[in-house]
Amino acid sequence: MLDGGSGYPVQKSMEILVALGEAYDADVMIPVNHVHLATGAILVAGDGWSKFIREMADSGGRMVVRATTNPSSIDPLIHKELGISNTLAENQMRYSENLGRLGAVLCHTCAPYLIGFIPRMGEHIVSGESSNIAYMNSVLGVRTERAGAPLGLAAALTGRIPYYGLYETEKRRGDVLIRVKATLSDPADFGLLGHCIGDRLTDAIPVFDGLPLSSPNEALKQLGAALNSSGAVPLFHIVGVTPEAPTLEAAFQGITADRILEITGKDLAETRQYLNSTTGAPNWIALGCPHASIWEIRELMDRLDGRRIHGDVEFWVCAAEPVRTYAERMGYRSALEKSGVKIVCETCPAIAPADEIASRLGKETVMATNSAKLAHYMPSEWGIKSLYGSTQACVEAAVTGKWG
Amino acid sequence: MCGSGSYREMGVIHLKERTFKGHRIAKGKAEGEALVSQDRFSFWGTVDLHTGVVHERGHDLKGVCIKDKILIYPTGKGSGGGSARLYSLIRAGLGPKAILNVKAEVVTIIGAIMGNIPMMDQFEMDPTEIIQTGDYVHVDADNGRIEIIKKHGG
Repeated sequence: MLDGGSGYPVQKSMEILVALGEAYDADVMIPVNHVHLATGAILVAGDGWSKFIREMADSGGRMVVRATTNPSSIDPLIHKELGISNTLAENQMRYSENLGRLGAVLCHTCAPYLIGFIPRMGEHIVSGESSNIAYMNSVLGVRTERAGAPLGLAAALTGRIPYYGLYETEKRRGDVLIRVKATLSDPADFGLLGHCIGDRLTDAIPVFDGLPLSSPNEALKQLGAALNSSGAVPLFHIVGVTPEAPTLEAAFQGITADRILEITGKDLAETRQYLNSTTGAPNWIALGCPHASIWEIRELMDRLDGRRIHGDVEFWVCAAEPVRTYAERMGYRSALEKSGVKIVCETCPAIAPADEIASRLGKETVMATNSAKLAHYMPSEWGIKSLYGSTQACVEAAVTGKWG
Repeated sequence: MCGSGSYREMGVIHLKERTFKGHRIAKGKAEGEALVSQDRFSFWGTVDLHTGVVHERGHDLKGVCIKDKILIYPTGKGSGGGSARLYSLIRAGLGPKAILNVKAEVVTIIGAIMGNIPMMDQFEMDPTEIIQTGDYVHVDADNGRIEIIKKHGG
């Protein structure tokens, strides 16, 4: 493949894979079963990468492995209603089309596990999207390393990845024991926990002991997303909950923890303070980062209880397309729309043109969210101040137009 | 003097040696002015795609442009979108000329390989301590070494 015999796209891909393998002292390449491609959004990719994807598709590049895509910068059905310009919508659609030509299924979601793309425990995949990587590795016991789009593309075009990092069993051993001495009552609290310890860990693998065994998947989804917003934590273990941690000993593969971290309510309160980068009334409320499950959509409907949101507020709950289809089937969509809430698909505020959307809102945009990831990225990427709280806090703010 | 190859006098680092060995991550050679940060760096979140200027709240390089610099920081962080972003920045002429890390992380690695800029890590010293912003650095990733020409001192 390296000598160009299989065409330029494969040759370039092998160059990337070989260079990566050398960087990580990997001896062999292994086959992969699935690639979840990072950078499905034109605003993340930039012009350069979009052109590269087109060049790959034009020169006959075709994926030899099943591939899905990360979120887009638009909702394909309601982008006009959201205030997204035609130019951007067209750029995204062309970019998506080229990804499709290469062979990817355009699911455009950060939570493909919610719509049926569920690899087996121990299966080797390649995924971009840090919250998905965390969920796949941790909650499903799937094996993936962190893969930006070029690596994902290279793996999809060749069917291979260097054998390094988290593909190796020993590398999946826990490093740090986390004792959580605070009550976690909402998935948003798991987000606080993740953000709090994310940057204390560097690349260490945390093992949580003492979290509720009945923690819903939505909470674990938030934990993974938050761990990867303030830090880079592709794998975590929760004793008794995640598949590689049936016991504390199993999580550490029989070796004592390198160190122990204790997280108290005070630590979480400090993180909440950090994520609330402003005071003042929110006018853009966003749930569904990572993308919402049908259960979260129903919960939102139940919490709103038929109330209409405040006239000044734009309310998004973001999800993958199939989830909106279920919501429609069950009447949740029409109930939410009667309240003024939009189910927005394939995108989210962080990678949609938030500036175009914010300019429609009139006054200075202040976001409220139950996602630590969104509360982290909106100020840094868009300069949009954020408020962070539970789902209920966001719902109340939507109805009253005030925070807290 | 601590025998570590350098000493600090009134905030200026004096080097006994100028050449240091490190591990090649992405091949190539480059030279230019060092831009040193003690903070982690993400190519999606820390730096603006259209200007190459750091815009992350609280980052020690906030307001500084990374274009054509030898960018030196501890390690990468954040979303996988960073790989394609680094590639797009480099393709637009706004990227760094080389990246030197204490420990490289994969999102940045892939962006550097795609964008054909040299990248190195695991040096025999901490590059974020020994190199200061404004020093001139020759990066030879192919042979696993860098040479530092201090802006001040020797």
